[in-house]
Amino acid sequence: MNWIPAFVAIPLGAAFLIPLIEHWIKGSSDFLTNAVTAFLMGLTLSFIHQAAQTQVYFVGGWEPAEGIPFGIALVVDGLSVLMLLVVNSIAFFATLYSVKYMARYTDKGKFFTLFMLMLAGMNGVVIAGDLFNMFVFLEITAIASYALVAFGIGSEELEASFKYQVLGGTASALVLFGIAIFYMMTKTLNFADASRVIAATGVTPALLFVSVLFLVGFGLKSALMPFHAWLPDAHPSAPAPISAMLSGVVIKVLGVYTLVRIFFNVIGIGTIPALKTVLLSLGVISMVAGAFLALGQQDMKRLLAYSSISQVGYIIFAFGLGTELGILGGLFHLMNHSVLKSLLFLNSGAVVYETESRDMEKLGGLMHKMPVTGTTSMIASLSMSGLPPLGGFFSKLIIIWASIDAGYPLLGAVAVIASIVTLAYYFKLQKEVFLGKLADAFQKAKEAPVLMCIPMICLAIISVGLGLLLLDPVREMVLTPAVHVIQGGVDYARMVLGG
Amino acid sequence: MTVFILSVILFLIGLYGVLVKRNLIKIALGFMIMEYAINLLFVLIGYRAGGTAPIFTQDVSGQIFVDPLPQALVLTAIVIGLGTTALLVSFAVRIYQKYESFDIRKIRELRG
Amino acid sequence: MNPILFSIGLPVVLGCLCWMVSGRNRWLRESLTIAGSLALFVIGIRFFISIPAPVLWGQVTLFSLDALGSMMLLACGFFGFLIALYSIPVMRDAEMRSAYYSAFLWTLGAAFGVILSNHLLLLLFFWGMLAVTLYMLILCGKSQTASESARKALIIVGGSDGILLLGIFCIYALTSTFEMHLIRLPLDGGLAILGFVCLGIAAFAKAGAIPFHTWIPDMASSAPVPGTALMPASLDKLLGIYLLMRMATRLFILTPVFNTALLILGTVTILAAVMRALVQHDLKRLLAYHAVSQVGYMIVGIGTGNPIGFAGALFHMLNNTIYKTGLFLAGGAVESQAGTSDLDKLGGIGRLMPWTFVTFLVSAFAISGVPPMNGFVSKWIIYQGLFEMNRSGNSLWIIWLAAAMFGSGLTLASFMKLTHAIFLGTPGRDIQPGRVKEIGLLARIPMIVLAVLSIGFGIFAYGGPMRHLILPSIGEVDYPGIWSPGYATLMVLLGLVAGLLIYGIGRSNQNLREQDSFIGGEKLPVENRVTGTGFYETIQSLPGLRFFYRKAETRSFDIYVQGSRLVAAITRVLRKSHTGVLTFYLVWAIAGLVLLLVWLMGR
Repeated sequence: MNWIPAFVAIPLGAAFLIPLIEHWIKGSSDFLTNAVTAFLMGLTLSFIHQAAQTQVYFVGGWEPAEGIPFGIALVVDGLSVLMLLVVNSIAFFATLYSVKYMARYTDKGKFFTLFMLMLAGMNGVVIAGDLFNMFVFLEITAIASYALVAFGIGSEELEASFKYQVLGGTASALVLFGIAIFYMMTKTLNFADASRVIAATGVTPALLFVSVLFLVGFGLKSALMPFHAWLPDAHPSAPAPISAMLSGVVIKVLGVYTLVRIFFNVIGIGTIPALKTVLLSLGVISMVAGAFLALGQQDMKRLLAYSSISQVGYIIFAFGLGTELGILGGLFHLMNHSVLKSLLFLNSGAVVYETESRDMEKLGGLMHKMPVTGTTSMIASLSMSGLPPLGGFFSKLIIIWASIDAGYPLLGAVAVIASIVTLAYYFKLQKEVFLGKLADAFQKAKEAPVLMCIPMICLAIISVGLGLLLLDPVREMVLTPAVHVIQGGVDYARMVLGG
Repeated sequence: MTVFILSVILFLIGLYGVLVKRNLIKIALGFMIMEYAINLLFVLIGYRAGGTAPIFTQDVSGQIFVDPLPQALVLTAIVIGLGTTALLVSFAVRIYQKYESFDIRKIRELRG
Repeated sequence: MNPILFSIGLPVVLGCLCWMVSGRNRWLRESLTIAGSLALFVIGIRFFISIPAPVLWGQVTLFSLDALGSMMLLACGFFGFLIALYSIPVMRDAEMRSAYYSAFLWTLGAAFGVILSNHLLLLLFFWGMLAVTLYMLILCGKSQTASESARKALIIVGGSDGILLLGIFCIYALTSTFEMHLIRLPLDGGLAILGFVCLGIAAFAKAGAIPFHTWIPDMASSAPVPGTALMPASLDKLLGIYLLMRMATRLFILTPVFNTALLILGTVTILAAVMRALVQHDLKRLLAYHAVSQVGYMIVGIGTGNPIGFAGALFHMLNNTIYKTGLFLAGGAVESQAGTSDLDKLGGIGRLMPWTFVTFLVSAFAISGVPPMNGFVSKWIIYQGLFEMNRSGNSLWIIWLAAAMFGSGLTLASFMKLTHAIFLGTPGRDIQPGRVKEIGLLARIPMIVLAVLSIGFGIFAYGGPMRHLILPSIGEVDYPGIWSPGYATLMVLLGLVAGLLIYGIGRSNQNLREQDSFIGGEKLPVENRVTGTGFYETIQSLPGLRFFYRKAETRSFDIYVQGSRLVAAITRVLRKSHTGVLTFYLVWAIAGLVLLLVWLMGR
């Protein structure tokens, strides 16, 4: 049995069944959701050992004829496995956390439905082998996350979600526009097939136009400056597990992954000369401006949201270097950031759960009251700021190494300066939330419930262990296949279609 | 070519609406115009002069078909567009209940 | 197991054990710390006697040790052990003890790692770990400002780790190797200079030289004293100067421009920090400014670029660590017994804490460069390095020499004030014989050992520490002017004896009458006593200096504060532009779209 479609089918099915069963058996949705996400995480883990080879599943058995694909292809290669791993494991911890956290909101069944839709969409984006299916799954994710951002139905949530919808919708329109032109140009939507066509025709004005549309469309989804403005509103407004998903995974799947897939594997990063420079500049602008903006925040979750902009900037910067080292650094930082940012948002959720406040001016001294939250958040902050011996140190190291190695020492210096600002804002967060004097209002605060602590502890342990990913045997298994896929560029076509 | 340019102009009209109008509902409308412009463009890309509906019968030799793929895709895109529009409009209504205004410039509690 | 790996792994493992020991098991945690630091001291001695084989990984030398490194290790182990002894009574009632002892052991492990690393990336790794443990150590402080000082130290020291990273890869880009023993880079290109500056910033930030010194005074006033004694007073100096030495003698080939730059920074550090020290009102802050000032001498020594200067810098580094740690320990003893470190409240403690007083006095003499203490000898050697520059035709030497000697004089002046304010004069309101008493034996031992070392290293300088500790890593040097400490010591002792005799004769005179201070027949109230803090207040209103002091008060020279202001200004503009109006955001996106269209399609 081929399990590839299960990544989409299972959460999609669960999205329909969960509210129904919840309707008959109260409280079943907690169990069902976690069972589904746990199963998906296990399924992804079982894919790791075969990450090195590209697996293609043709839906409905429509095999390609004479090397030209007809049907819908689902492709799982090294990059997809890595993304699936990130998506499904973070999703598992988020659902585990939601059990207790979402109990304060009404209608958990609907929440889990939307969550499952979002998960199905993301898995779909990652395994889709053609542009249009990618677009459809992208929209499923986006619509689910619009609704999830506004799940609290307060005025701020609605406002944030509306802005998110308009900017996200613009992005979708531009992407669809791009797809239309792309189809006109290549007469195909399958990545592999299109890649061959583009390789044959070379650079045309239409291709450049499509590239710009995709850059802006997916740039909006991944919140690169100057396309970022929705993110600092939307991510903090969502309930904490959703913030964790949005910042940890969604922007990376909808933005970074899609950009990488299209520009590296379909169009080919070397095809258009200015493309690397564009990615580099978008990355640098985002990482610097995002860091500065994060430093100025008083709202804990908003600080984390701006930090996401900055960190995604690092990732895009690393990919923009285009060297093997840069790609490795980008992927590794992507994994690190997913784990750490989800952890930090879960921490912020625990603080909000106990104190009903996310204003850093009012908070303070919670370390003694909430040791688990405080310690895990400290670990995440240390790692995120790139201090050894944690994982973030190595991703910073690789990215800066790559930038000097690729001949951009000054951009490397800019990245270092941004990393110092990163240090400054993460330890502003630590100082103002967990250290210092405990405000009188929070004397009664206590540690978050166990079910919320477990995911935080697990993520903290994973974040400490992520540095091990760079050790040779593990790297060969997880990171290297993904690096090879990206580095291989348009060789992707041969891997998918053979020949 | 003219029809392509016309649909791009339609797209720009939608964009104008989204950018310039203050009313949430009008923004939603501009949005829909943008989507329809793209759908139109997509269908037109599949058009072949003198082509017929792509229905395979016994003898298809010599007939020109319009490209069926864009039509299938546009159907999906319309459904997606329906979903987003419904969500957008319902949110506009909820926002009106909270802010008592449809003016996008007044809905700015989140900033900085 | 390889001894080198063992020496790094042991404290790390013990630190983790300390973390896990629950709050009740105080003795277990303390004995783990003592045992761990003692073991490291023993390992340091063993490595010093016989240098262990390097650790290889394939063809790459990961860890190795040479004469310079083994001397550093010995010093690290020694000071680690002494401060561990001292910590036990002082940290007994602090909060977060388990975190303190873990951080303590991890610090030692990371310091060993830095010195043993031959691979630049490993050095970077341990360097960054030290920033983290520094952060933890400061957080163990009880004061309200601890979290802010900790953040400041982490941003400066941890940030310097990022800059070090940049520098290391610049070197790698030029030499294609990370192994320090293979690198000898001429400073002849942009990338090489960038690398040099980056490494220099890291060394300066760690050692606490101007302009990266500002975390030290803040840390000293809010961190626990043994933590301050461990990091900025001893290990950070050792490691910062170690890196600078490595840069000057191995990694880079310095040109005169860089030597001059080092000399300028060194003399500015000496003078500016000591001037600030003169006017401090807090015991720990004052000592911290001296900790900064003394680094200046070492940098000047390295800046001379000749072996005598190097030897002087290393010897001064060692001596400074001895007396500065002694001063911090004595100061900490005073604070823990008197309950305050505010000079306005202290006074007259000399009688109550005689051991502390004597050890403090010895260290104070040493830091002020009074012969025959160790501080004098090493400064003397550094001055000789400056003379040596004259011989090689560099005519600016006289400026550096004058500045360094002037700084030395100011140091003496500020320690006169400090000694008076703490130990002499009328006791402050809260200083009463019953409440303030000598500190426990365990804390006294390190102080006495350090004082004895200060004297011993001074008297037997050439035959002892110079020959066995310093010169093995420098090679033979020939001194232009030899100072014979034995003879001088004799003369100093004779002078002291003569002075005592005269004092004794005066006291025995029956016509002498002793009275408490009084004004107009009334006994002087405690509020009006002479505390000593006012000694040099007038210096702040001197015409030329007034400007600088006022600027220093507003923190204009604090690179952290200035950096924060700059960042805050940029942030304000950026935040203003996020108005919350959706239309505006859309315009950005569309502008970006147009820009990209022009960029990609315009060619």
